[in-house]
Amino acid sequence: MIEINDLTVRFGGVTPLDQMTLTFPHGTNGLIGPNGAGKTTFFNVLSGFVRPAKGSVTAFDDNLLSMPHYRRARWGVRRTFQTEQAIEDLTIYDNVLMVHEHSPKQNRGAREDDVHRAIKFVGLSANPQAKVGTLGAADRRLVEIARAVVGKPRVVLLDEPAAGLPDEETQRMGEVIQKIPEEVGALVILVDHDMSLVSACCTKTAVLDFGKLIASGDTPDVLRNEQVKQAYLGTEAAA
Amino acid sequence: MPSWEDFKPFIVTGLALGGVYALSGVGMVVLYRATGVLNLAFGAVGAMGALLSWQLINHNGWAEGPAFLFCVLFGGAITLLYGVIFGPPLASRDPLVKATATLGLALILLGIMDLVWSDKARSMILPTSNHGFEVSRVFVNYTEVIAIAFGLAVMVVTALFLRFTKTGTAMRALANDREITATLGVPVRRVEAAAWLGSGLLSGAAGLLLSNLVGLDAATLTFLVISSLAATLIGRLRSITVTFFAAIVIGLVNALITPILSISQYRDMTPFVLATIALLVLSGRRGSALSGRAG
Amino acid sequence: MWIPRLDAGDRVRAGVISLLLAFVVIVLPQLLSGYWVTVCTSVAIYAIVALGLGILMGRTGLVSLGQIALLALAAWVGARLFFATNLPFPIVLLGSGLITMVLGTLVGLPALRLSGLYLALITLMLAGAITVVLRTTNFPNGGHGFLGHTETDRGAASIRRPAIANGDTAYLRYAILVAALMFLLALIHVRAKPGRAWAAIRQSESAALAAGVNVTLYKMWAFALASFLTGVAGGLLAADSGQLFITTFPTSDSITLLAVVLMGGIYSLWGAVVAGLLMQLLPALLNNWGVAADWLTIVFGAGVLQVLLTAPQGLAYQFPHDMARLGRFIAGRVGRARAPARERAG
Repeated sequence: MIEINDLTVRFGGVTPLDQMTLTFPHGTNGLIGPNGAGKTTFFNVLSGFVRPAKGSVTAFDDNLLSMPHYRRARWGVRRTFQTEQAIEDLTIYDNVLMVHEHSPKQNRGAREDDVHRAIKFVGLSANPQAKVGTLGAADRRLVEIARAVVGKPRVVLLDEPAAGLPDEETQRMGEVIQKIPEEVGALVILVDHDMSLVSACCTKTAVLDFGKLIASGDTPDVLRNEQVKQAYLGTEAAA
Repeated sequence: MPSWEDFKPFIVTGLALGGVYALSGVGMVVLYRATGVLNLAFGAVGAMGALLSWQLINHNGWAEGPAFLFCVLFGGAITLLYGVIFGPPLASRDPLVKATATLGLALILLGIMDLVWSDKARSMILPTSNHGFEVSRVFVNYTEVIAIAFGLAVMVVTALFLRFTKTGTAMRALANDREITATLGVPVRRVEAAAWLGSGLLSGAAGLLLSNLVGLDAATLTFLVISSLAATLIGRLRSITVTFFAAIVIGLVNALITPILSISQYRDMTPFVLATIALLVLSGRRGSALSGRAG
Repeated sequence: MWIPRLDAGDRVRAGVISLLLAFVVIVLPQLLSGYWVTVCTSVAIYAIVALGLGILMGRTGLVSLGQIALLALAAWVGARLFFATNLPFPIVLLGSGLITMVLGTLVGLPALRLSGLYLALITLMLAGAITVVLRTTNFPNGGHGFLGHTETDRGAASIRRPAIANGDTAYLRYAILVAALMFLLALIHVRAKPGRAWAAIRQSESAALAAGVNVTLYKMWAFALASFLTGVAGGLLAADSGQLFITTFPTSDSITLLAVVLMGGIYSLWGAVVAGLLMQLLPALLNNWGVAADWLTIVFGAGVLQVLLTAPQGLAYQFPHDMARLGRFIAGRVGRARAPARERAG
């Protein structure tokens, strides 16, 4: 599990994350909130791109913040980004291979198996030797998931993995995401605006608004929470 | 170690060169801040303007005054033309791409200059170079005075312009964020055009002054821009005041090393050495290459 | 991990390239006269330099505005080694490659953490510094002292060539073979782990970091490889010229190199060959036809603008595409011409 304690980020006069304290249990966790709530900032802290003003992040008993950013991927943090990041010039195979070869050493044979396993896990039917630039949007997103689950990641951060996909593909993506904790063994944090995806995949969900944690718990309860609804709709919270 | 007397004449030449580097540097920084384009063809434009002036005076019978004015205006016109044609399609690209594109312009101008004028030795003496006065037994000609004064004037006027005029404020807004500035109703294209034109006029003036202080040779004048670039680097492509002072220092140090025989041959390394030191200090202080971003 | 896999398509391509190489090495030099032999040697040498710059720009998006100054430095190192030691020619080439690699990497090291524009400007600054120094120290010519240069009225000693390739035609073959080796070295990089990491960095540095790529290391690697390649080319150039002068390395050449590399195409290794041809063969052709080579400078300038505006992949990307289309067109024609004959036969 991941324990976040009093995590605060400040830029100039803005406080994108304000004293966030939360524990993410094993499984798939949702992190939702209106635009600008601090979700991507939170991911950036975990990735190591942003240094918090204060607070701690303990993941599986390791102090994540003490590691420089390039070590975290080696430790087992994987991430997808809001905008597509699958490398167009490389084949599907090379895209996934690339992530794997920058993780802890393994022999060549095991590497090939792991890559094929990841490609199969996400259900990609395209030829692994096809260049990602030739694939459609849904397949590209699946390549990104494959890159996130190959090898033995410990934490998988998904930032709007189904953005721009039609309902059917989103559902397919959701089915893949749901399998990750059990089959890959990683803790998943999913950030998305699509509530059907969040309720389908995530057992627990946390909600950020203006950098502050306003709700957390079982997903159905959180989604019914009045304060959460108002945060999204922008009305004043009832006194 | 040479004596004070040996250094004195070089103080003047150093300040004069520094003044021209300053006005070039300020011109480049303003353009960069307004459009994101670091005009590496700045020197080439000035060189061509100077050569055209020479041509007009020596082969077309123009009087000096109008010919020199032509040089300045040519600089403005060519730069503005480039900015209007190639600015918009490249506007969203990385500053590196935009700067590389100006190298295309530089090559075109270099090619034309070599084609028309080849690299024969030429000279163009401004009338002000023949008159001057003496300060502490060193002769200072008026061209040098103009170079120093103009450099200073450009720095001051530009700083005031950016701070107090509507177009200047618009330029600063553009430097900050082009898209938001556009949505505020600022006529982005027109403001950028003003920046291109102003910077171009300065390149014409710089070309004219340098052809006098250094020599009328296409390649030399084109690549002298590197010295001004060094100043802009030290100013971090942001601060006009720092660029100005860096340029003066570069010009001074470069000239003052001349009488120190042991390193005199290496004096042209001054801009590079100073810029590299400045950049190393910069990168040391910045720390991690990826700074925090909101969101 | 290191040896890239070769599939069927690769094997065909390797076969074609080997045939082409055999032709260029064995047949071509026989067909050329003395002047054109030296021109083609220059093409081979500058193709290697273009290869280095292309990798830097195409794989990591870093721009160097001073590769020709680095080439001058490399030629200096090569010449110095040639005169000071009796080492075999290939060893000297390797030596100048390695020394230039170290120097180039040292330069890149502090600058890598700055943005692309600053890095480009720093390379420009350093190129200027190198040029100033070389203008004063000159190039080794068999003379004394660390600098190995003695002002002399009589002809200075000539830089030696490999024993097996002393004549111009033989040296052309030698240069082409060295170039082929360098391209192979580059190919091995591009197809393996470094190439994949570079592709990731080019797409997005933060995504590459998030995937565990040590971005600084791989940028350094690209710098090191580009510098090594330039170093080898410098050694070849030194022996080719026999005597070196600073006028062989004008500042404008760094810009011209950038232009031809862009025009040739930075995403394909073939682009470097096109770049070499543009930079060394075309001016010679123009001179031969009595046209001023300055027209080419203008064309290159326009080429830079065109490439940056429209086809960032450059001509080497367009060319195979156009060739493929031409191939399909021809195949279609041949197919239609054959069909009636087959029908008659069947």
